[in-house]
Amino acid sequence: MLATKTKPMIVSMGPHHPSMHGVLRLIVTLDGENVIDCEPILGYLHRGMEKIAENRTIVQYLPYVTRWDYLATMFTEAITVNAPEKLTNIQVPKRASYIRMIMLELSRVASHLLWLGPFMADIGAQTPFFYILREREMIYDLFEAATGMRMMHNYFRIGGVAVDLPYGWIDKCLDFCDYFLPKVNEYERLITNNPIFLKRVEGIGIIGKEEAINWGLSGPMLRASGVQWDLRKVDHYECYDELDWQIQWQKEGDSLARYLVRIGEMKESIKIIQQALKSIPGGPYENLEARRLQRGKKSEWNNFEYQFISKKPSPTFKLPKQEHYIRVEAPKGELGVFLIGDDSVFPWRWKIRPPGFINLQILPQLVKGMKLADIMTILGSIDIIMGEVDR
Amino acid sequence: MLNTYTNSSTKIQGRLSVWLANHKLPHRPLGFDYQGVEILQIRSEDWLSIAVALYVYGFNYLRSQCAYDVAPGGLLASVYHFTKIEDNVDQPEEICIKIFVSRQKPKIPSVFWIWKSADFQERESYDMLGISYENHPRLKRILMPDTWIGWPLRKDYIVPDFYELQDAY
Repeated sequence: MLATKTKPMIVSMGPHHPSMHGVLRLIVTLDGENVIDCEPILGYLHRGMEKIAENRTIVQYLPYVTRWDYLATMFTEAITVNAPEKLTNIQVPKRASYIRMIMLELSRVASHLLWLGPFMADIGAQTPFFYILREREMIYDLFEAATGMRMMHNYFRIGGVAVDLPYGWIDKCLDFCDYFLPKVNEYERLITNNPIFLKRVEGIGIIGKEEAINWGLSGPMLRASGVQWDLRKVDHYECYDELDWQIQWQKEGDSLARYLVRIGEMKESIKIIQQALKSIPGGPYENLEARRLQRGKKSEWNNFEYQFISKKPSPTFKLPKQEHYIRVEAPKGELGVFLIGDDSVFPWRWKIRPPGFINLQILPQLVKGMKLADIMTILGSIDIIMGEVDR
Repeated sequence: MLNTYTNSSTKIQGRLSVWLANHKLPHRPLGFDYQGVEILQIRSEDWLSIAVALYVYGFNYLRSQCAYDVAPGGLLASVYHFTKIEDNVDQPEEICIKIFVSRQKPKIPSVFWIWKSADFQERESYDMLGISYENHPRLKRILMPDTWIGWPLRKDYIVPDFYELQDAY
């Protein structure tokens, strides 16, 4: 028997490795194929978003925020307007709130889709990537029709949204929902019970319930470890309480569980969108506008609840000397902002709590003792976006 | 000064403040933030024992840790937001802890060994404001390059080689 004992090999994985989802760099110590140690190196996409926020007004800052998590852009805008709104007690009309919910859920679907494709590509199945791009394209078309932009929409405003939904948008969106649900089932038929897929993800990267909480995980990462915690239910923001939907969760805490949670969330999001489209105050834009014209200025259709924005704040909109921490349930987890006002147009401190940054912390612990090829599976199942990790 | 508003309501005691007082744990109530979350000030040297007490009290989730500069040339603050995560809860208890340290010797014990989620966040606070978290396993710059000099999020930070647009020819 010839036994060879070699020294551990140290490999720098990234920042340009295709499965590092952007510019993450891992310094991996390998013993043959086994991972002994792994250290993430961040900061290749650091742009100082928090420093920039300190000398921008909220409206000036809004175009920047879609560059945090550039795949779930609506959520970054939502948190950027929610934090000052709640600090200054600005009411949001119900119609605006519904439009926001629809946009947020569409964005969640888009984000989960662009998680699914690369995740499957990471573990060797290229086909779903083309399928998800086909569906995601339709969501982006819907965004483009409503906001004028596909990714960096700059659509949310303090007090509501920038413009009302255009003619026929609600019908188009309903069509999309009807089209999309069977497509998710198609993905599931293709992927979920596939033995090759199961061999790669089952029991890989297991996170226990206590561990998940202790590491501060949030979103699908937390719910896949058996914690029923969704900020949409916990914090009661926007109008999610008025709709019928369930928290998606799994007990196992492995990569498969995280896959199942995200697939379940896509279906749940479509359910939310369908209900919201049916119960949006004022209905489709053309009806609302026609009724407004017909009944005149004093009609009930001119009421506050049917507006897409409450009073527009002035460019010198000041943040009071107060502070608070506001969060939304983004597709990757809890996206929060700790905002300190200074009785000035600029925030004194604008701390972003990005879900990806905090979910990524557990990676070294998960990959230690696994095989090299499992790094891609585990990293893929964490779902990070370097734009928000590095900010 | 930015912390004047917190002094105005020091008399009102929240639930956790009462609980800490009952157990004779030193702290100072700073009132409530705009969402009604209780803010407590803890001295840096007391922090580790009180952090353990908070964990025992049930705050199992450190949702956010951050730091800010209270005033140019003034104190630095390290802020912790905790909550209790359970299944299907409805608006669970929250708490905000603040620790003020001097600019010259900003030292705070790390809570990494109690809440693992402090790992990257304390490193970021170190990177951006230069607060050193003692006993943190790898306290080094995380977002800025290792060779960077200065603490970017301090209010008296001057950007090196900053190109003033007004100086453009």
